[in-house]
Amino acid sequence: MSNERAEFAEFFSTGWEPCLRAVLAVVGSPQLAEDQVAEAFVRAWASWRKVRRHPAPRAWVVRTALNAGASWWRQRSRELPLAGHDLTAPGPGEGLDATLLTALRHLPPRQREVIALRIFLDLDTDTIARQLGIEAGTVRMHLSRGVMALRRELADTNEHGG
Amino acid sequence: MNAHHDMSDTDVLSTARDSLSAMPVAGPPDLETIMARGRARRHRQRLIPAMAGTLAVAAGAALAVTMLAPAGHRAAPQAAPQAGHQPAARLTAWTVTKLRSGDISVTIRELKDPAGLQSALRSDGVPASVTFAGQLNPACRSYPNGSIAWPPLPPASLLRQVFPKPYGTIPPAAHQSRGWSRAPGTGGTPPATPASGQTVIVIAPSALPGNAGVQIATTHDAHWIGPVRVVYASQHCTGS
Repeated sequence: MSNERAEFAEFFSTGWEPCLRAVLAVVGSPQLAEDQVAEAFVRAWASWRKVRRHPAPRAWVVRTALNAGASWWRQRSRELPLAGHDLTAPGPGEGLDATLLTALRHLPPRQREVIALRIFLDLDTDTIARQLGIEAGTVRMHLSRGVMALRRELADTNEHGG
Repeated sequence: MNAHHDMSDTDVLSTARDSLSAMPVAGPPDLETIMARGRARRHRQRLIPAMAGTLAVAAGAALAVTMLAPAGHRAAPQAAPQAGHQPAARLTAWTVTKLRSGDISVTIRELKDPAGLQSALRSDGVPASVTFAGQLNPACRSYPNGSIAWPPLPPASLLRQVFPKPYGTIPPAAHQSRGWSRAPGTGGTPPATPASGQTVIVIAPSALPGNAGVQIATTHDAHWIGPVRVVYASQHCTGS
């Protein structure tokens, strides 16, 4: 048991930040992302014997966090109008990172997930496909379209911001 | 055209990763808190299948009892007011029926044979005190959160759990003012019948604490089948 604790502690300390960044890129709200990732790690420890054997345990955490978020949004969408709720344009001087984050938030959810899993967890196409339960070709399509949108955003930033 | 237009997909992703990774994010929460919540969740996960199995066995047993046993306890028909099992050819003063859920439904049409009703409930495993004579059994003591406060307040949680109907279906304010079982009659004489012709009380034995029972009574001053309340089980009050 102490060996499992040590394993999980290591997984938690090294996995927290990339998982949080990936979820943040998808959901947009830092507070929501922190809550969802914390809940996902709770579930990871509850099922650690299964999760530790998972081919991509960090991807399991991100997927679990996003699923938790989906149910959170389903509850919240009955109470609040969603249009543009989590989309905040970067203010002047907020820089490239804020611009990219906003660009990510404007992508369709699936494209956001694919980009986030590739960027922050460095997963290959097949692993992303397995995690999201979609075809590898669909992952490639989402990745291509997402990258195209990011490239456009980077170009615009360069032209406007110098 | 600028340099970004010429970037490869890999370069775009690398630039995005480098830029977004530089953004400050919150550090991890306390590991022990995460693990404690995970342990609690694991315990719940283990309990749920065990409880589901127990419930399935209980449901099967209840179904078997329902199929093998008479439909329920009935008071004697109005023309022959002795307690006992009778065919429902005529309406009886009260009927006790065990539901598939394990709850017990009591339908009262006439305020007769309280001892028979009390006995029927006890034989179904519900420690009970029933009096229709206008007086509460003085040996009964109310269980905490098991009765309605005065002035009328929403029924306490235990009361709602043990008596899911009518307390679960009628707005709390109506309990006292309009009365789910207000009976006709004035003065100090207990009413002969419930106001609407019959009253249905559902009892959830599973919600009863181990040392508790139920009390069903009419009172001189209020003319209700009431109060129904949760009481401490004792030999002199509920028979056990």
